[in-house]
Amino acid sequence: MSIRKPRHFPFGSKIHGTKLSNKCPIVKAPAPERVYISVSQHIGAPAIPVVSIGDKVKKGTLIAEASGAISANVYSSVSGTVSDICDIVNGLNQKQKHIVIDNDFTDEEETFSNFNDFEPETLVNRIRLAGIVGLGGAGFPTAAKLTPKNPLDTLIINGAECEPYLTCDYRLMIEKTEEIYKGIKYVARALNVKKIIIGIERNKPRAIEAFATYSDLDVVSLKKQYPMGSEKHLIYVTTGRKVPPGKMPFDVKCCVQNIKTVLAAYYAIEYGKPLTESVLTVSGHGIKEPKNVQVLIGTPFSELIKFCGGTEDAVKIVAGGPMMGKALVNLNHYVRKTDSGLLCLKNTETSTQSPSNCINCGLCARKCPMRIMPMYIESFALSGNFKEAERYGAMNCIECGLCAYNCPAKRALVQSISFAKSKIKEMKNGK
Amino acid sequence: MENKLIYSSSPHIKSPRTTRKIMLDVCVALLPATIIGIIYFGLYALLLVALSVISAVVGEYVYLLAAGKSFKEITENFDFSSVITGLLIGLTIGTNYPFYAPIFGSLFAIIAVKMLFGGTGKNIVNPAIAGRIFMFISFQWAVGAVWLVPSIGSIYGETVATSATAVVDVSKGVVPNISLLDMLLGTGMQGCIGETCKVALLIGGIYLACRRVINLVYPLIFIALTGFATVVICGFDFSMFLPSILSGGLILGAIFMATDYTTTPNTKAGNIIYFAFLGILLAVLRYATKMETVSFAILLMNLVVPLIDKFILNKPFGYKKSQKTKGAKL
Repeated sequence: MSIRKPRHFPFGSKIHGTKLSNKCPIVKAPAPERVYISVSQHIGAPAIPVVSIGDKVKKGTLIAEASGAISANVYSSVSGTVSDICDIVNGLNQKQKHIVIDNDFTDEEETFSNFNDFEPETLVNRIRLAGIVGLGGAGFPTAAKLTPKNPLDTLIINGAECEPYLTCDYRLMIEKTEEIYKGIKYVARALNVKKIIIGIERNKPRAIEAFATYSDLDVVSLKKQYPMGSEKHLIYVTTGRKVPPGKMPFDVKCCVQNIKTVLAAYYAIEYGKPLTESVLTVSGHGIKEPKNVQVLIGTPFSELIKFCGGTEDAVKIVAGGPMMGKALVNLNHYVRKTDSGLLCLKNTETSTQSPSNCINCGLCARKCPMRIMPMYIESFALSGNFKEAERYGAMNCIECGLCAYNCPAKRALVQSISFAKSKIKEMKNGK
Repeated sequence: MENKLIYSSSPHIKSPRTTRKIMLDVCVALLPATIIGIIYFGLYALLLVALSVISAVVGEYVYLLAAGKSFKEITENFDFSSVITGLLIGLTIGTNYPFYAPIFGSLFAIIAVKMLFGGTGKNIVNPAIAGRIFMFISFQWAVGAVWLVPSIGSIYGETVATSATAVVDVSKGVVPNISLLDMLLGTGMQGCIGETCKVALLIGGIYLACRRVINLVYPLIFIALTGFATVVICGFDFSMFLPSILSGGLILGAIFMATDYTTTPNTKAGNIIYFAFLGILLAVLRYATKMETVSFAILLMNLVVPLIDKFILNKPFGYKKSQKTKGAKL
């Protein structure tokens, strides 16, 4: 099918920032001696460990089981012995249960038994079994997304990768086009939808060309505009449907899946492999050799940095993209399913200016893709008036970071808004 | 590995635009008008502008020092908005004002109107407008009715001697005896230092629009509506259109004063209402008072801005009128 132009969306903006690792093929990082696998790598209830200290595990052995509908299985990424199950404070300052496995480097692998049944239900079950979650960053269990209450009619594949620096989706799209295509077909089959749209930003012409060869995909060349990768906006520019505030994509009969998610689904369905690996972009001017790395889940970030030549004057380490990623307090952080980037930013790249008075320029509201008014929400949040903050649309915020990015006074708008959001949720739960 | 990592909330990259850069852009945009004003009106004009800028900056420093901030701290956070205030005050007085007038005007604007309300971004009305009105009211006795004729004469060779800033006398419906080209270039025109040469002001406005500091559509709404409202008031006399927009301080006010971020609404619709009302209000005030009232019109509309902002809000993306979402209601 021909390449289609997207619908015009007048909000959002272009952002500065380069993609340093655009031309670096995906390389495999060496397996670490010890992996630290968190049991809470997704939205929802943490998985419950099913192994105990001293157990022998293989690569692909179930080590923690999903505890409810919104939860996901966790698998061992190496073969070896479970040496510890303990609470570790990770680089985000969150206390999480980790399963520590010593690698014996025998690379024994365990896969699901093969089957020839490709009914939608079996496909969904296999995706659930493999512990696949939304790998775009949110980590919502994919199987739950694939079993909507009412039937859907469109599957949208998110190949926007609108964050600067990150290139792992782009590299996957041009290196593993065939696999991704098959994964898309499986997911479409699981959802029982005919119409498949894939949205790719115009700065990735090679990826657009690669997918344009498949006649049953509707390729949309998205404008280079942040945040094109946001579900609601991707749905709007590709189908023209608007997701109302407080509603989910399935309310407008759409399902959005990330490139990495469909690839993981492909491996799970075709080869019976659970999700034990991830592809990360290690980038930023603070790292010596920016790379796209295929890495085992549970690998320490410090090993990854060592693999990429070490850091150079990095003042900020970020897990994820520069707009929505989270800064790390230290390097005691371990690769999780949802990680898509590790950025080492230099002083010149990241802003360290202290905030000044709001000059009421209105840029935050003008750029806001959700069309809410960050300046009011911020001032209400800071003065503790959360009811008023909600009236001004705080709950609609997708925390894309454009308001704070554009703010000339460098105010921490996202921080205030997400603070307001958590307080509003608390208020509602308390009632 | 580093000992110290910076920890902060996302986003981790920020646009290069800062408050200081925006304010500096406005200063640059005012330069053509300032230079031409000094060429037209001589060294006394330079003295007035310099005095007003210096006293505005000194006023801000003195206030912050008194508030207990260190000199270094103030300099680091200096955002050049007081320079704009000083420049605008200097440019909106004529050379018939005594030299101490801009000093008092600037100090009033900076201390009473801006700093006492909390500094940059917290003022309710535009400090430069308030300062100009303060001078207009306070120094009437010193100014008298004498206006100084600029050193450069009309390109048609005739000196013009009409009312203060060559405001169209809309009450009589008479087009003043000045050529439109003279009005555009400010040659042979009497008036305030910065407001006679419209070309210089427009260059500044285009510069600001190119730097994306202001949206030129809004001042154009203001200017155009003033013209149309004047035409309507004068009984559909379309010959009044151009003289009414080219006379007085309308273009200076529309481009540099009415667009002040702090005192304009935050939404597109709010801005259109604000600038449209400004235009109509100015035409009416000019007709009613037979004076140049740009600054009064802006001052009045500044006070309406909080009201506009209260009632005109953006609707969240995907919002439908029929849907009763709590977060989306006004």
